[in-house]
Amino acid sequence: MGRRRRRLERQAGAGAEALPEAIAALSRTLPTRPNPETFRRAKFDLPEAAPALWRLLFHVLLREDDGTAVPYPEAQVRLVKSALRAHGYPRPALTQLPEDGSQGSRELLLALSWLLAGGSLLGRLLTRTHVLTGDQMPMCECEDLAHATACLDLPAPCKDTSNGLDMRYVQWLMGKLRFRWLNLICGHQEQCALLSKIHQYTQGCHSNQSLGHLSAAETELLRDPEAGQQLLWRLERENGRLEAALEWRRLEPIFWQWMDTVLGACPQCPSDTGPQPTFQAAISDRGHEELELVTRELQALWQELQLAAEARRTAWEAQVQIQGLELSTPQVLVSEAMVERQLATLRQAWEQWGALPHGPHRLVRPPARETRAWSMAGPKLLLEHSMEALPGP
Amino acid sequence: MLPADSSRRLVAELQGALDACAEQEQQLDQSLRVCRRLLGTWKPAGVPEPEPSHEDPSPGAPSPQDLKELELLTQALEKAVRVRKSPSKTAERAKVPNQKPRTKAPTAPAPPQAPGRTSSHTSVTRPTRSSHQPKVLTTGHQEHRLRPAQERATLGTGARATKPSLGDPQVTSAAPRGPEVFTLKEKGSLLRLPLAFQKTVSQNSRLWAQLTSTQASDTEEAAARARFLQKMQAASGRAAPGLSMAQVEAEVGTLRRACWLLRLHMNNETAAAPADWVQEYRRVLTLEGLQTMAGQCLRRLQELRQAVAGQQLDPWPLGKPPQACPCRGGADANWKPQLLLYSSTRELQSLVAHQLHTTMLAQQLHLQKVLMAELLPLVRGTPSPSRLALCRAVHSLLCDGGQHFPVALRDEPAD
Repeated sequence: MGRRRRRLERQAGAGAEALPEAIAALSRTLPTRPNPETFRRAKFDLPEAAPALWRLLFHVLLREDDGTAVPYPEAQVRLVKSALRAHGYPRPALTQLPEDGSQGSRELLLALSWLLAGGSLLGRLLTRTHVLTGDQMPMCECEDLAHATACLDLPAPCKDTSNGLDMRYVQWLMGKLRFRWLNLICGHQEQCALLSKIHQYTQGCHSNQSLGHLSAAETELLRDPEAGQQLLWRLERENGRLEAALEWRRLEPIFWQWMDTVLGACPQCPSDTGPQPTFQAAISDRGHEELELVTRELQALWQELQLAAEARRTAWEAQVQIQGLELSTPQVLVSEAMVERQLATLRQAWEQWGALPHGPHRLVRPPARETRAWSMAGPKLLLEHSMEALPGP
Repeated sequence: MLPADSSRRLVAELQGALDACAEQEQQLDQSLRVCRRLLGTWKPAGVPEPEPSHEDPSPGAPSPQDLKELELLTQALEKAVRVRKSPSKTAERAKVPNQKPRTKAPTAPAPPQAPGRTSSHTSVTRPTRSSHQPKVLTTGHQEHRLRPAQERATLGTGARATKPSLGDPQVTSAAPRGPEVFTLKEKGSLLRLPLAFQKTVSQNSRLWAQLTSTQASDTEEAAARARFLQKMQAASGRAAPGLSMAQVEAEVGTLRRACWLLRLHMNNETAAAPADWVQEYRRVLTLEGLQTMAGQCLRRLQELRQAVAGQQLDPWPLGKPPQACPCRGGADANWKPQLLLYSSTRELQSLVAHQLHTTMLAQQLHLQKVLMAELLPLVRGTPSPSRLALCRAVHSLLCDGGQHFPVALRDEPAD
C-alpha cells in the first residue's frame, strides 16, 4: 500500500497508521526478511505471497542454522505442513493446500501468527543466530545431543545394502568411529592448550574489565581486519534485528488487532469432517521408538526399586525387632520431612532442566592472583564446581 | 551376512555417527588453524610470510626494507578505501604515521601522503574507519606500541597496566632497525580492540538486555496473544486437540531425564553401607519414595502412549525435533552473558576431555542398543555353519566394550 508514515511515535491502538511500521518491524526481525507487502497480499489470499511465506515458515520451523541445505520448494511445503501439524496447529485447511506452494497465503499468514502467538518464537530465532565473540564452551548435559544419528528417511546410504551386509563392514565402521573420536579428543586438547596461551598472552587487553583478556575471535579480528570487518558486519546486522524486535514489541497490539480482521476474512471452516489424512510411512517413527524405549527403561527401574525397597525395609524391620528399638514420633516425622524435601528437589531437577547453566559459556581466564576475588561477584561458573556436576567417565 | 533391512538401519546409524564426527572434526580443524596462526608470527596481510628468523636482518639493507614498508603501507591504504568512514579516528590516523621514522608526512586531517607514494593514494581522501586501526597494527610494526597510548587517551582506560613510557623511546630505538615481527607472546598485552567493535558489542548486549526485560513484563501483549489463539482454535472447527507431537516429545525427554536421575539416586542409596538405624530408616523411605515417583512417571508415559495412539499424531519430520534441547534457546530468549572461569590449562583440558568422553559414551550406548536389537535375534536363530562367525563378530562388537576380538577354535574330539 505504500502509505507514508505520518508520525514515528504513536501509542498502541492508534490504528492503521502504525500498522505498516509494525509489519515492517516484524519483517526486519524475521530470518528471511520478507517484503512487508507480502503480509498485505496474504490478507487477501493473493497467490503471489505464497512462495515467500512457505520459505519463511521453513526457515523458522526447520532450518537451525545457515549451513544446512535447503530442499526444493515442494519438499519444503511437505516438511512445513508436517512440522506445523506436529506442533499442534489447529486448522485443517493447511493440510489441504496444494504441494506446489502456489496458494494459501492467508492460511500461511495465520500459521505464522499462530507461531508468534506462542510467545517465544522471535526470541528463539534471535538466540539461534546470536553472534558470539568469545571462546565458547558448551555446558549442556542433555543426552539429546549425543543422539546425533542419521534420520532414516534420507535417500539411500552410500553402501548398497540390498543384498545384505557383511559383518566385517559393521566392525570396520565401529572401529573407524572409535578412532575418529580419539582423534577428536586429541584435537580438542590441543585447542585448549592454544586457547589458554592466547588468553594468557592477551591479559589486560579487553576493555571489559570482567573479561580481562581477548578471545581467539577478537584476536583474529585484530590480526586480520577483513575477518574483523565480517564480524563487525554480522554484529551490526544482529543489532538491527534486535532493534526491529524491540520496535515490534512496542507495536504488537496493533498487529493482533489486524490479525483478528484477517481471521474474520477467512471463510468459516466446516466442522470436523472426520479423521485427518494421515501422512505416509515415509516419515520415520522414531518418536514412537523413543517412547517405547523410555517405557522399558522406567519399567526396569521401577522393578529394581521395588526389590531394593522391599529388601531394605524387611532388613530394617528385622533389625528393629532384634534390637528392640523404637522410633519415636518426632524422629519419624523429621525423617519423613527430610526425605520429602530431598525427593521434591529431585523432581525439580528434572522438571526445571532449563534453569541449569545451559548453553555456551564464554571461557575466561582470570589473572592468577585474582581468582578468588573473581569468584565472588557475578553470574560466573567456576570450573571446579562444574566439574563436580559432571558425571564421571 | 546380515539381512538387508536390519543392515540398512545399522549402516544408517553408524554412518550418521561418523558424519557427525566428521563435521565436528572440520570445525575443530578450522579453529585450530586460526589459533595456530594467531600464536605464530603475524604476517602483514597480502605479503608472503617472511622467514621467522629470530634475529633481525642486517640493518645494512635499508632500501629493500624501505620498499617493503612502502608496499605494506600501500596495501593498507588501499584497503582503507574500501572501508567505511569514521571521523573520530581521523586525528589518530593522521598522528600515527606521522611518527613513523621514515615518512615525513604532514599532519593533515586527511590521511597523510608520504612522499614518493604511488598515485593510488591520492584517491584516499575519506577518513578511515576506526576498525582500520588493527590494519595499521599489522603493517606498521612500530606503530602498534603507539596505539595503546592513544587508545588510553581516548578511552580513558588509565587503570590498565599499559606502560606509560610507550611513546617515543621505543619508537626511536626501533627506528634504525627493520620492521620487527609481531608475536602474540611478546606483545600480546599491548593490543587493543577497535572502538567501533567495542561500541557495537556493548550496543548488542544493551539491546539483548532490553529485549529480555520487555519480554518479562508484557502482560497486555500476552493477553492479546491468548485471545488470538483462542479465536484461532474456535474458528478451526475442531475440538481442542490436546497434545501435539512436540509436547509429547518434550515430555518424553523430561521423563527420560527423570529415569536417569532416579537411577542415579537409587545407585547412591543402595551402594551406601548400612549406617545407624535412623539413617537406615531414611534410606528405606527414600527408596520407597523413588519407587513411587517411578510409578508416577510410568503412569504419565502410559497416558502419553494412549494419546499418541488415539490421536494418530504424526511423528516429527526429519526424525528429530530441532528444539528439544533448551540450550538451543527453547523456552525463551533468556540470554545472559555466562562466563566460565578456569585457572590452568590442565583444568580446561580435563573438562573438555570429560565432556567429550561423556558424549562418546552416550553415543556408544545408543549404538550398542541398536546393535543388540538388530543382531541378537540373528544369533539366537538356528545353528548353522556361518553362525560361528556371526557369534564371534557379535561378541567383538557388543561384549567387553568392543575392545576384544575373540578367537574361535574348533575343538576336535580326541580320538
